[in-house]
Amino acid sequence: MLETLSLMGAGFLNALTPLNLLMMAAGVAMGIVIGCMPGLSAAMGVALMLPMTFTMKPETGLIVLGAIYCGAIFGGSISAILIHTPGTPASAATAIEGYQMTLRGHAGKALFTACYASFWGGLLSCISLYFFSPLLAKLTLKFMSAEYFWLSIFGLTIIAGVSAKSIVKGLMSGALGLLISTIGLDPITGVKRFMPSSYFAEGINTTCALIGLFSMSQVFILAEKEIKKRAQATRFSDKMSLSREERKTLRPTILRSWIIGNLIGILPGAGASIACFLGYNTSRQFSKHKEMFGKGSIEGVAGSEAANNAVTGGSLIPTLTLGIPGESVTAVLMGGLVIQGLTPGPELFGKYAPMTYTFFAGFVLVQFFMLGIGLIGCRGFAQISRLSDAILIPCVTVLCFVGSYAIHKNIMDIVVMLSFGVLGYLMRKLDLNTAAVVLALILGPIGEKGLRNALRTSRGSISVLFSSPVCWVLIALCLFGILSPLFMNKLEKKAEEEAEEVANPEELDNLTEEDSV
Amino acid sequence: MKMKKTDIGVVLFMYLVCGFFYYHMTKLKASSQTYPRFTIVLLFGLTTLYLVQMIIAAKKYGVESGVDEVFKDFKPAQFFVCLIASILYLVCIYFFGFYISTVLFMAVVLLYLKVPPLFSAITILVIVGLIYFAFQRFLGVKLPVGTVLKAMGK
Repeated sequence: MLETLSLMGAGFLNALTPLNLLMMAAGVAMGIVIGCMPGLSAAMGVALMLPMTFTMKPETGLIVLGAIYCGAIFGGSISAILIHTPGTPASAATAIEGYQMTLRGHAGKALFTACYASFWGGLLSCISLYFFSPLLAKLTLKFMSAEYFWLSIFGLTIIAGVSAKSIVKGLMSGALGLLISTIGLDPITGVKRFMPSSYFAEGINTTCALIGLFSMSQVFILAEKEIKKRAQATRFSDKMSLSREERKTLRPTILRSWIIGNLIGILPGAGASIACFLGYNTSRQFSKHKEMFGKGSIEGVAGSEAANNAVTGGSLIPTLTLGIPGESVTAVLMGGLVIQGLTPGPELFGKYAPMTYTFFAGFVLVQFFMLGIGLIGCRGFAQISRLSDAILIPCVTVLCFVGSYAIHKNIMDIVVMLSFGVLGYLMRKLDLNTAAVVLALILGPIGEKGLRNALRTSRGSISVLFSSPVCWVLIALCLFGILSPLFMNKLEKKAEEEAEEVANPEELDNLTEEDSV
Repeated sequence: MKMKKTDIGVVLFMYLVCGFFYYHMTKLKASSQTYPRFTIVLLFGLTTLYLVQMIIAAKKYGVESGVDEVFKDFKPAQFFVCLIASILYLVCIYFFGFYISTVLFMAVVLLYLKVPPLFSAITILVIVGLIYFAFQRFLGVKLPVGTVLKAMGK
C-alpha cells in the first residue's frame, strides 16, 4: 500500500516536468481540434500522432496519446453543441440537448456544462484506473503460454464484434490480420515467411498499418463524397458559466454517468458512443426537471459528456493490464505501448511501475488541461470545426506520409501505409472491421509465441491448450466475446431510441435559427 | 437481411488470400507451418461460415446488389484524382524530396477541390511550417531530399 502511494507520488512529480506539461497542453489542444472536426475520429488522431511520440520517453509519449484521446472525446461536443454535428460518435447524445440550448441562446452555458462534466467524468475515471489496474495485472502473473494464446484470441473476439455489422465479418477481419501478422521472419526458427523482400523481415510495420487503416482510409472516405459547406457555428454571447445551484444539480448526474461510463469502458467491446446515450438516458430518468429534456437540459448535456469521458480511464484498464483494448482508440494506444517496447500486463506494474504511474498522473493532469483549454479556447475551436473537407484531405494525407516516413526514415513505410489505406478504405466500405486487423497485428505475435511454446512443452499435444482452469475461463470469455456484440447492439439501439423519443421533432421544428443568439 | 452481391467479392478476396498464403506456406519447413496453417484454417473456416450465412440469407430474403449502398454519393472523378495524386506524391517524394512534392501535391489537390487560392496558400504554409518545426526541428527527422536534388547537389 505504502509502496503504491509512493509510486503515485513519484508519478506526479515525474509528470509535472515542464516538457510533460507542455506535451499535455499540446496533446489536449490537438485532440480537441481533431475531435471537433466532423469526419475525424479520436482513433484517427491518435494514430496520426503516434510517430511523433517515438523520439519521446515512453511516459511522455503515452501522456501525449492519452491527452489526444481525452481531448478528442471532449472536442466532439463543441461541434455537437454549436453546429448540431457531433465531431465524434461519442458526442451524439450531447447534440440533442446541447444544440437546443444553443437555439435558446445558452450556447455558452452548454459548452461550460460539457467541459465541466467532461472534466469530472475523466477525473473520476482515474480513480478506477489507479485502483483496479494493479489488481487485474496481478491476475496475469498466473498466465502461461497457453493462457497467453487464449488471451490474444479473447482480445480478437472482443474487438471483432465492435462496429462491424456482422460478427462473422468482424472475426474474418481479425483472422485476416492474424494472417498478415505472420509475414516476416519466423520468431522461433528464423525462417523467412511470405516475404517479397528483406524489408519485411521484421514483419508488417504496425504503425504504418495503423496510420493507413485509420487515417489514410478516412482521407479516401472524405474524398469520395461531395465537399459540402459546413453549417455556420453559432456565435454566442452568453457567459460560459453555471450558477452554484446549477452545479449542485449536476453533481448526482455526473456521479451516475461516471459509474456508467467507467463500467462501459472497463467492459471490452463497449465504447464511448454507447456510454453517452446511456448516461443521457439515465440523467433523464433521475431528473427532477424531465420537462426540460428535448428543450435544452443541462443535465442531459452533463449526463452524456460525463459518461463518454469516464470511458477513457475505464477503457485503459483492460488495455494496460490484459492487453485487450475494448475499442479502436485503445487499440491504437496499445499499439503505441507495444511500439515503445512495453508489454501490457504485470510488467507495467512491476519493472515499469514508475513509467506507468507517471502516465496515470499525466492522465489526471490532462483532465485539468482539458478543462482550462476547453473553456478558454471554445470559441476558436468552434471556428476550426467548420474547416472544409477540401482542406482536410491534403493536410491529413501529408501528415500520414510524413508520420509513416518518420518511423524508420524509409520510403517503403509510406508504400505500406498507402497500401493499408486502400485496404482500410475497401474494408470500411464492405463493413469489415479495421480495428480487428490492427489488434490482430499486435496480438498475433503474442498469440503465436503462446501457441508454439505451449505445443513445444507438450510435445505437440493440443490438450495443453485446455489443461488449466484459467484456459477454460478464457475460452468462456472468448465465447462471451463472440456473443457480446448482440447484447451491446441491442443496448445501444434501445438507448438511441429512448434518446430520439426525447428529441421530439415537432419541438425542434418550432425552434428556428431566429431563436438563437 | 438480404444477401448483398458485393459480399461475394469479400468472400472471393478472403479465399484468394487463403490460397496465396497456403501456396507459400507449403514451401516452408514443417516446424514453421504450424501457426500460419492455424490462421489460414481460421480465415478459411470463417469465410466459409459467412458464405453459408449468405446462401441462407439469399434463399430466405433474396439477393440485392449492394453496390448502391456501398457507393452512395460516390464522386468517382474526385476520388480517383485524390488517390492518383497521393500515389504521384509518393513518387515525387522519391525524386524531388519532401518539401517540393508536398507543396506541389497540396497546391494541386486544394485547387482541384476549389479552395480559394489565398486559403490554399495559407494552408500550404501552415502545413509545411508545422512539419518543418515539429518533425525536422523538434523531433530531428531528416525528411527525404529526393534523388534528383541529391544528384544535383553532388
